[in-house]
Amino acid sequence: MRYKNLFVYWRTVLTVAEITFRHQMNDSFIIFAILIQPIIIATLAMFMLRDTAANAAMFVVVGSGLTGLWSGLLFISGNSINAERWQGTLESLVGAPTPFDVIVFGKNLANVVQSLLSMIVAYLLAALFFNYTLHIDQPLLFFISILFSVFAFISFGLTIAPLFVMYREVQQWQNALEYPMYILAGFLFPILLLPGWTTPLSYSLPPYWAAVALHGTSTANAPLQQTLFAWGMLLVFSIIDLVIAKRLFKIMLYKARVDATLDVQ
Amino acid sequence: MNAIEVKNLQRVYRAHIGVIKRSIKEVMAVEDISFDIKAGELFGLLGPNGAGKTTTVKMLATLLIPTKGTITIMGFDVVKDAQEVRKRIGFIFGGERGLYWRLSGIDNLRYFASLYGVEPDVSKKRIPFLLEMVGLKDRGNERVEGYSRGMKQRLHVARTLLHDPEILFLDEPTIGLDPVGAREFRQVIRDLQSENKTILLTTHYMFEADSLCQRVAVIDKGIIVAMDSPSELKKHVADLSVIEIETFGTSQEVVEQLRALPFVDALSVQEQDQRQMLLIQTARGAEAVPDLISSLNGQRVGRVIVREPTLEDAYVRLVGGRV
Repeated sequence: MRYKNLFVYWRTVLTVAEITFRHQMNDSFIIFAILIQPIIIATLAMFMLRDTAANAAMFVVVGSGLTGLWSGLLFISGNSINAERWQGTLESLVGAPTPFDVIVFGKNLANVVQSLLSMIVAYLLAALFFNYTLHIDQPLLFFISILFSVFAFISFGLTIAPLFVMYREVQQWQNALEYPMYILAGFLFPILLLPGWTTPLSYSLPPYWAAVALHGTSTANAPLQQTLFAWGMLLVFSIIDLVIAKRLFKIMLYKARVDATLDVQ
Repeated sequence: MNAIEVKNLQRVYRAHIGVIKRSIKEVMAVEDISFDIKAGELFGLLGPNGAGKTTTVKMLATLLIPTKGTITIMGFDVVKDAQEVRKRIGFIFGGERGLYWRLSGIDNLRYFASLYGVEPDVSKKRIPFLLEMVGLKDRGNERVEGYSRGMKQRLHVARTLLHDPEILFLDEPTIGLDPVGAREFRQVIRDLQSENKTILLTTHYMFEADSLCQRVAVIDKGIIVAMDSPSELKKHVADLSVIEIETFGTSQEVVEQLRALPFVDALSVQEQDQRQMLLIQTARGAEAVPDLISSLNGQRVGRVIVREPTLEDAYVRLVGGRV
């Protein structure tokens, strides 16, 4: 019975992701967050790195992809529950028999996959407009790193969304959280360039470990041990986030049904 | 067998007010209501705005937690067994919201079919069937943002029926529909009842409740003031006649003077631009007309009609003429 439920939930996740993906591709804000903004960042970075080695361009491609992932997570996944509330669909979702966190997992999967498009856009920009010859040092490990990163970003998004609903003061920091993550997680330059006291902060962020795995396998020819450690950290953070998210969703839904906040009054 | 059992239901809303000095304001939406609905019954819930109808439906649909009291649906408690209840119910709240406007009608239905655990091979057949049933067969591939209000309402019906629920909650489903759309919608409700669905319908339209419902509960200020079949409810006003007086520019003061007359049992006012239609219930019948006209203090009067009472008149009397 339990395995049958898991199969049904997984099928639901895929359908929710597919339909959310198509729904969001009609939204101009989302197009800006996952495509236009990473193009601007990648263009600026490539002009700055124009006379350096070719693999610096690959670093920029991966880095701007990571910025797209983080912006997508912060603004789209983070707002996913509030957005449903404002468009009047939250009651229909909560009133369905599928657990609400399963539905939000599917929506986040769509958001993260959508955000990965920014990496492809940056790749095409580097190859076609800046004439870089791009190559990935460890293609298989890079692909596996993407999978671990996607899972970690989805799980991180699952903890943020209910927090934004329950604590409006946290959501007010949404804009302020965007750029510090670009810096602290080493998306566009190594954290070694930052003051030493910021390093523990970087280590506590799942996006930092995604950057270690993706940059390490794409441009740094990182030793396998380093990549495995980054994957392990991503997995540990994902599990912790899922456990926290499960609890947060339970509290949030109960509170929303008590306070009558599933719909905008 | 009872499909729905509601016992001593109460719901209080708490709102935080004030910026510097914060305080909590409590509003009693539902005070104490109890009713049962039999399997296959079409039950109406009537009441003025703010009476507690939508709050009651939201508690039944597991979307609000009752402050006190219990609700069981097909033997499952709406708080403890919410997931089990959700498999067995469908709900529609009046209005256009609750759909994804940038998706097509078919994609909306695919999405919700998935959330209700409908097997893909079943939903492939069920979605075209439901679109045909609600008259959207040829518009299913269009984005919902291009639909009229009535089409969106009908898509809501299709969404609600995807998992073939045994129980339906329809909260003012015909509100805002044009007369033709509303009539078609009522036919859909009749068809659903003929399939032996248990239906709870809330509505402002008395003729709708009269023509559709087997039993009706009238709710006012969070309590049930009457519960019976429409024909039995009409007997509450069987000894009365209704006098309709068309007036122009009648003030609230004059209305209150009429309401205070000893032979006036209940009075409601329907505003129509500059005109007011005064609906007066009285046991004196046509004999009361001269006294009423003279009490209007020379106010301009149009048509005057004396007629038999309807369910609406029974409703007006039950809620104290405050309509």
